Amino acid sequence: MTLFDLARRNAWRKPLRTVLLIVCVAVAFLIHGLTASFLAGSQGASAASEDILGVMSAGGRGQSLPMAARARLAVDPDIAAIAPLVRLRGFVGTEKNVVAVSAVDPALMMAVNGKSLGLTPALVAAMGTARDTLLVGRALADAQGFVVGQSVTVSAFAMARQDGSRDWRFTIAGIFEGENASTDTYFSIARLDYVDAARAKGRDTVDAFVVRPKAGADAARLAARIDQQFQNSASPTRTQSEKQFLEAFLRQYADVGLIVNLVVGAAFVTLMLIVVNTMVFAVRERRFEIGVLKTLGFSQKAILALILAETLFVLSLGGGAGLVLAKLLTILAGPELGLVMTPLIVLRALGLIVVLGFLTGALPAFNALKTPIVSAFRTR
Amino acid sequence: MSTAETMSTPLAQTPLPDMPVPEGPYIALENLRKAYRIGGQTIPIFSGLDLAIPRGDFVAIMGPSGSGKSTLLNMLAGIDRADGGTLRIGNSRLDQMGEGARAAWRAHHMGIVFQFYNLLPMLTAAENVELPLLLKPLSARERRARVAKVLDLVGLAGREKQRPGLMSGGQQQRVGIARAIVSDPDLLLCDEPTGDLDRASADAVLDMLRFLNTEMKKTIVMVTHDPQAALQARRTLHLDKGQFLEETRAAG
Repeated sequence: MTLFDLARRNAWRKPLRTVLLIVCVAVAFLIHGLTASFLAGSQGASAASEDILGVMSAGGRGQSLPMAARARLAVDPDIAAIAPLVRLRGFVGTEKNVVAVSAVDPALMMAVNGKSLGLTPALVAAMGTARDTLLVGRALADAQGFVVGQSVTVSAFAMARQDGSRDWRFTIAGIFEGENASTDTYFSIARLDYVDAARAKGRDTVDAFVVRPKAGADAARLAARIDQQFQNSASPTRTQSEKQFLEAFLRQYADVGLIVNLVVGAAFVTLMLIVVNTMVFAVRERRFEIGVLKTLGFSQKAILALILAETLFVLSLGGGAGLVLAKLLTILAGPELGLVMTPLIVLRALGLIVVLGFLTGALPAFNALKTPIVSAFRTR
Repeated sequence: MSTAETMSTPLAQTPLPDMPVPEGPYIALENLRKAYRIGGQTIPIFSGLDLAIPRGDFVAIMGPSGSGKSTLLNMLAGIDRADGGTLRIGNSRLDQMGEGARAAWRAHHMGIVFQFYNLLPMLTAAENVELPLLLKPLSARERRARVAKVLDLVGLAGREKQRPGLMSGGQQQRVGIARAIVSDPDLLLCDEPTGDLDRASADAVLDMLRFLNTEMKKTIVMVTHDPQAALQARRTLHLDKGQFLEETRAAG
């Protein structure tokens, strides 16, 4: 027998109470695991690249940049590739069924971000077969049931065609898979020359230039240099990494990270209150026995270790079960929900288990330590 | 005399052999003072108690309820502190020690036997006995060997895996005694060790205490209400109102 065995036996003295406590902890860590996986996945921005840069108008998302700016960008020695991009947002069928279309030159996009998006030469070639071709991301295709060869009409929210209509017809030429599950594939790629030629307004302007820096180039410095270059021009720019852009984009709707942290924080505060309360009662019930242990020579440190080991044991079982469940759910959910449980999430959660174990054990341990042996014996 | 014989023979009536008394007492209390403060009132327990117990002695302390027996035992065990005076056991001044030092002292020098055994119900007999050894730098194998040895000594070999709830009072008290002696302390403090037992079980426990005193040279201080139990000690001190009134020595 070891001190830990003793702590473990103490924890199981009231099996129902311990099981309920473990379930409570498991639910909290399940929520934590899923929300952290959500943030780490494609619905969040943490998987986005910090190297790929987006050059947009400093005036905001509604403002465009002249296509001619591409030539000025291209002279920078640290830029490997540039892809002009026009955004077309609309819906398919009902207005709630929102679809995002990025109009680009497929070959340029492949040079800039092809690996991450999972673009292949075959897909780029398929885009060349007609002007109205569309490549659909895997997540979008699965969600909408799109298949290759299908015709899709996207009713744009803002971008009108020259004939006054806002309906953009495309033919799906292929599906890009994304490099991994955390890659955002909930959008589609159309040909820029088709969209640019057909739109009523804004021809020869773009919403952004997607820039790939050369290997070894400092992306942050390059971004600053680009903005400096255009600072006093007619079209000042704001250059951000893909990650910064996505984070800013998500914050337009809500600070997802803050909401998630608040939800998880509330869950953990509740959890801590429950565990502390239960442990205080559990230790109070055993004050007499703790007095006996002290009489046998157990030091304050040994008693402290015993109680902390007990709370850590309960939290480890519950937390471990919650994390395993969260991992299983991220696997079962598939890539479309964009839940990615990274090793870092697991490590952080394990750290949290240890910290919570110490915090929740501290109060009952303090109570046990300060109770004199003679007073403990009177509680029988 | 083997352990089995010691456990099975009726309560010995023969006088205990003379023991050489070492220079200076093993336990020395001088001018010990203790009072409890309850609701703003001070209730004195000891107002200058003196006591000297030589190493290897077996002392029974008797007295009416409220005489201070338990308080004295608590102070000897280092679980309660005197308000003044000196309390020395062996070379240790318990009255000058802090909480941590007294806990360490108990772990190394003292075993205690309680009236109601105070065994942990979720542990087996062997695990209860092993508890004090968890504080010592011993391997699991060494701990198991020591536990097996003392359980054999108290006549409980083969009952290692039994939980206290399934044992008789006498058996539980023997587990309690095994736990008290497993770390081989010099001093054994017994708080009414037979108070919860029938006569036969009480006699077996007292036989065991005599054995530990005579054969294993443990110094024993036993608080008891039971005159039969007190008879087994080398001497009996009668405590009343915080003062020793008289001393009775064992016949022989």
